[in-house]
Amino acid sequence: MKAPLALLFALLLLAAPLSAAEPPDYLRDIKPILTKHCYSCHGPEKQRSNLRLDTVAGALKGGDTGPAIVPGKSSESRLIKAVTGTDDLIPQMPPKGDRLSAEQVALLRAWIDAGAKAPAGEVAEAAPAKSTHWAFRPPVRPPVPPVKNIAWVRNPIDHFILARLEKEGIAPSPEADRVTLIRRLSLDLLGLPPTPEEVDAFLADTRPDAYERLVDRLLASPHYGERWGRHWLDLARYADSNGYSIDGPRSIWPYRDWVINALNADMPFDQFVIEQIAGDLLPNATTSQKVATGFHRNTQINQEGGIDPEQFRVEAIVDRVNTTGAVFLGLTIGCCQCHDHKFDPFTQREYYQLFAFFNNADEPTLELPTPEQQRQRNKVQAEIAAVEQMLKVLDTTTPEKVDEWENSLTAELRKQLPKEVQAVLEVPENGRTARQKQVLVEAYRKMDQARYLTGLFGTPSPLAASAYVNTALARTRLEKRLTGLKRSMPAVATTMIMQERQTPRPTHVMLGGDFTRKGVQVFPGVPAVLHPLTTADPNPQSAIRNSQSPNRLDLAKWLVDPANPLTARVTVNRFWQHYFGLGLVETENDFGTQGTPPSHPELLDWLATEFIAPSFPAGERVGVRGWSMKAMHRLIVTSATYRQSSKARPDLATLDPRNRLLARQARLRLEAEFVRDVALAASGLLNRTIGGPSVFPPQPEGIYRFTQIDKQWKASTGPDRYRRGMYTYFWRSAPHPALIVFDAPDANSTCTRRNRSNTPLQALTLLNDQGFFEFAVGLAARVLNEVRPGEVSPRREPGGNLDEERLRYAFRLCLARSPSASELDRLGRLLARQRAEFETDPEAARELVPDGMAPSADVKQLAAWTAVARVLLNLDEFITRE
Amino acid sequence: MDNSPQLLLQTRRHFFRDCAIGLGSIALATLLERDGYLTAGPAPFVNPLAPKKPHFPAKAKRVIYLFMAGGPSQLELFDYKPKLLALDGQPIPESFTKGKRFAFMDSFTKDGFKCLGSRRKFARHGQAGTWVSECLPHIARIVDEIAVIRSVATNVFNHAPAKFFMNTGSPQFGRPSMGAWVTYGIGSESQNLPGFVVLQSGPRGPRGGAPLWGSGFLPTAYQGVPFRTTGEPILNLTSPRGITPGRQKEVLDALRDLNTERLTETGDPEIATRIASYEMAYRMQTSAPELIDISGETKQTLEMYGAEPGKVSFANNCLLARRLVERGVRFVQLYHTDWDHHGGQGANLRDSLDKVCKEVDQPCAALIRDLKARGLLEETLVIWGGEFGRTPMGEVRNVGGRDIGRNHHIDAFTMWLAGGGIKPGINLGQTDELGFAPVEDRVHVHDLHATILHLLGLDHLKLTYRFQGRDFRLTDVHGEVVTKLLA
Repeated sequence: MKAPLALLFALLLLAAPLSAAEPPDYLRDIKPILTKHCYSCHGPEKQRSNLRLDTVAGALKGGDTGPAIVPGKSSESRLIKAVTGTDDLIPQMPPKGDRLSAEQVALLRAWIDAGAKAPAGEVAEAAPAKSTHWAFRPPVRPPVPPVKNIAWVRNPIDHFILARLEKEGIAPSPEADRVTLIRRLSLDLLGLPPTPEEVDAFLADTRPDAYERLVDRLLASPHYGERWGRHWLDLARYADSNGYSIDGPRSIWPYRDWVINALNADMPFDQFVIEQIAGDLLPNATTSQKVATGFHRNTQINQEGGIDPEQFRVEAIVDRVNTTGAVFLGLTIGCCQCHDHKFDPFTQREYYQLFAFFNNADEPTLELPTPEQQRQRNKVQAEIAAVEQMLKVLDTTTPEKVDEWENSLTAELRKQLPKEVQAVLEVPENGRTARQKQVLVEAYRKMDQARYLTGLFGTPSPLAASAYVNTALARTRLEKRLTGLKRSMPAVATTMIMQERQTPRPTHVMLGGDFTRKGVQVFPGVPAVLHPLTTADPNPQSAIRNSQSPNRLDLAKWLVDPANPLTARVTVNRFWQHYFGLGLVETENDFGTQGTPPSHPELLDWLATEFIAPSFPAGERVGVRGWSMKAMHRLIVTSATYRQSSKARPDLATLDPRNRLLARQARLRLEAEFVRDVALAASGLLNRTIGGPSVFPPQPEGIYRFTQIDKQWKASTGPDRYRRGMYTYFWRSAPHPALIVFDAPDANSTCTRRNRSNTPLQALTLLNDQGFFEFAVGLAARVLNEVRPGEVSPRREPGGNLDEERLRYAFRLCLARSPSASELDRLGRLLARQRAEFETDPEAARELVPDGMAPSADVKQLAAWTAVARVLLNLDEFITRE
Repeated sequence: MDNSPQLLLQTRRHFFRDCAIGLGSIALATLLERDGYLTAGPAPFVNPLAPKKPHFPAKAKRVIYLFMAGGPSQLELFDYKPKLLALDGQPIPESFTKGKRFAFMDSFTKDGFKCLGSRRKFARHGQAGTWVSECLPHIARIVDEIAVIRSVATNVFNHAPAKFFMNTGSPQFGRPSMGAWVTYGIGSESQNLPGFVVLQSGPRGPRGGAPLWGSGFLPTAYQGVPFRTTGEPILNLTSPRGITPGRQKEVLDALRDLNTERLTETGDPEIATRIASYEMAYRMQTSAPELIDISGETKQTLEMYGAEPGKVSFANNCLLARRLVERGVRFVQLYHTDWDHHGGQGANLRDSLDKVCKEVDQPCAALIRDLKARGLLEETLVIWGGEFGRTPMGEVRNVGGRDIGRNHHIDAFTMWLAGGGIKPGINLGQTDELGFAPVEDRVHVHDLHATILHLLGLDHLKLTYRFQGRDFRLTDVHGEVVTKLLA
């Protein structure tokens, strides 16, 4: 209170005559107060809570909490409440710096009470210019830069990479050897290692396009959909349970299978997005398109008692908005749930405009009967209807009788009733659900029957009793039959979907992100800094459409609008990240101003534009539809950049320690699910079934000690025991430990990049976990079985000794390459020692073979080979894509 | 893979001096030397957990952090406020709330801000006359060993973000935790156990989960390893049936040799980390079961803690914490749930609070006494506290109003520290008459972090890691060492 003293004094002088009659003058008395105390947050630069106080019109319009002034009524005006600290919703304003003096408040009051007159033609200062941040401007296809070493280049990607390397004076690495290449491709595109036969075939293929042919073969494999589907499921936060503390089971695996199938069919990415965001709103939506909307049903559901369901419905929508922001836009839009974005040009109001798109959906479960199941269901349903009709005829129960019975119950009698019935009786009559009413009817019926059958409650006439007994017996028979029928109703698969509501829910800004504090109402809309939403196409056939505002389908189309500056860039960047360990934009989930700038901006834009509208190679691919994911994969993996060796180079250790310039490939540890898959594939135990309900491979005891509810986990014993890792049932509160230890995401929120840790716990898992040990026994048995003495096989190298051939074969099953002499020697020594071990301890050998894994004739032999298999399955190289 | 250049630039001398991680490694070193890796200059291989010299001589060599998950009520335990009791049930005077941050307080507006006086009896204890309530009779008897801070302040008021903030200095998921920063800074002295171990007790795990002890963008070797205190301490610790330690060792030796060959072939330091992981895993197979077996402790020790072999309890975990630091583990963190006393069934400030106090009081005091008796307290920093405190205003979650509780409060709450260079028997910081905000010696979480690192010989301004083009610190861009706490 130093500087304003003079001003205060002046105001005091002014205040005296004002109170007499003359209202304050806005420009002379009011605007200076607002300028000094309010503009920094509610002016042309910033509009906290979407409020501007630099014009009277702005104050009248108000912000998220409604109008700031009510002309003529100062005591009802939020502006007055705010500056005096008497508002329910907001703290005293201004939050920092000097508070308004009593005199200043009096001036404001007087002005408002006099009608809040504004000067004619008051114009707001211009808002700051639109953001110039690179990621908010559409990608422009750059020219492909020239390079010196043109011989190295295989496609335009290489121009961008090499141009930069040449600028830095760094040479790219040589191409990896062909065995490394086929293993790399198989792991990257299928998540499975190549078989020795596939390796041999590739090595023998001398055609100039052998590599491209291999790529095409792998992209056509149905396992491609599994490999890349798993990447997508990280984004979709897919899991088989509801999350939070109760974490009950759910069925949404048909969505997972939809993803796999869509990728295998190379569904164009724009369609892929539209169906997942708004498949239900497409004209004549197919079942498959409805299943696709499961993308945003992968949110958690809180099943705790005593919660406010609205709170968790809102939380799920918040998650949908944040996920949409991260996955498609690469933006930390979630920051705006509670306040305007601190760094990027997004407001809290815009956040709730996005929220409004998702606020209008119901969340039903869709049944997916097969045609045969449907026929069966119709049949059973008809029988049920018939039995129910008969029961109705036999039923003497009337609502009046039930009422009478209820009224006759003494407190003592009530206590003897089953708990469930007592609970219903507690509920006031007009508040009972249909189910609760049914409980009472059943209770009455049982009571009534018991009364007659036992004669306990007075004896009716013998004739009546006998008739009643007959009726009761008939009823019992029919009820039994009904139960049987209901049980015989075929269980069909179900999945969780989104379904637009007929009547839209109103959406309000939630002050401070709190769902109980509603601000102004908002309507569906997109952030102003990005391209506009085009609703030119009125979707006349769309099932439901509010003429007032755009819906989820419009949002979906906006996401994949070629004018969208982010979606294509963010998507190709994630592809890149999977192939090289880091994206061109390292902060793959933050393309905003706080994210890292791209290492190769032109390449990113070239790839993004190529994704939307392919042009390479010119000629043969003209007219190819855009957004093909397989085409992008093909483009990246056929580049010379991708085909480089991943070996470390001493010169790069100082020049480019993090390999941002890509003068070599990266060695990348496989993700959790694929660590399992490669072990399964090598062991020969892999069950290659694609899709279906999730399964229960063995896991260690005691996983659920720290969860609220114990989970069902009966390890599968049949073929389901050996399914790929992505089919392991995923309980959010306690996922399979082998998944977590290798950094599988927790599925509680979207995961755009996995951690790649390297810990002793991983070592313990691969060494000792029951599952992995079984794979080792399987690999040992396979090698013993498939390389037999005296047999001529293409796998066998002529004239070698049997152990050595077996070692070679096992090595190639695991690593694709052949062992070096020293590797072979080392494994041979281990084999010899372990043989000696089990020769003296055959009991241990028998003990070692897991139950149900039929031992071959010689368990000692199997035990010794299991040691070799364990080494191979634990090698760093085995779980690494080189 | 994403490895810090520091790892690559270790000298050969450092490798041999500091990284004694078993015979296998020495053999590996010889091999690397033979192949010209070591003589060529930068060695590709170093045990990331090898002990490292701090920035300056340390007072504390290890940390035991007793994390009271959920936010204990300082007003029921340490911060005695007779005035609050005098005003019980009355609206809180405006002079206290005026000018305070209100963001979180809005949840009160429907009921008004009503004072809730503590029903607990308080008394002064020890030479310092430290106020402690009847809830913690054992801790009351060790107050001359500890420094009670009543003026701790944090930034965030929801459980998981607040736990992240207390552990990582950021409310966001995915930053390195304190234990990770410390093991990154000075490594660990244990050859057989992880450098950073996490133990849990209470009805469930802490909200926030594994990222609370994660390594964030630091190399993953520094992340905390959760130990289970019954059965297998670590999942898959036991070798499969029929595999004796000798057979396991043979497999591991062959594995190491083949991994080493690949390391020389590819030069990827991640393989070196994997070799080290396997060696640690093998040693853990014997050391971890030995560690968690407390049956060899004397009856007197077990009784002092209230520990019972084979049970999952905070008492057992406190005893295990002592055993862990005895074995050179650098950072031990115990989580105990659940202190979230909002009111209502199972979460009130009456019997619910009594229950959890009873679970922690005796073991905490026993831990301090035991460490002292063994001469370990001097170099072991013990930290006690939750992610935030609770409001002077009450919260009523049931109709009768008996099951009172308090909401989350970030402006002022109580923690205590002991040992490891902390001035014993002091009281630091004061709050206003109602316990709303500090009026003296406010200690922000960032300051606490700076102080903890200082005690470990680390300058919080210098302990940095470059990530995404920026040098990150545990203390972000804040933090001042609280010199009044230093002995």
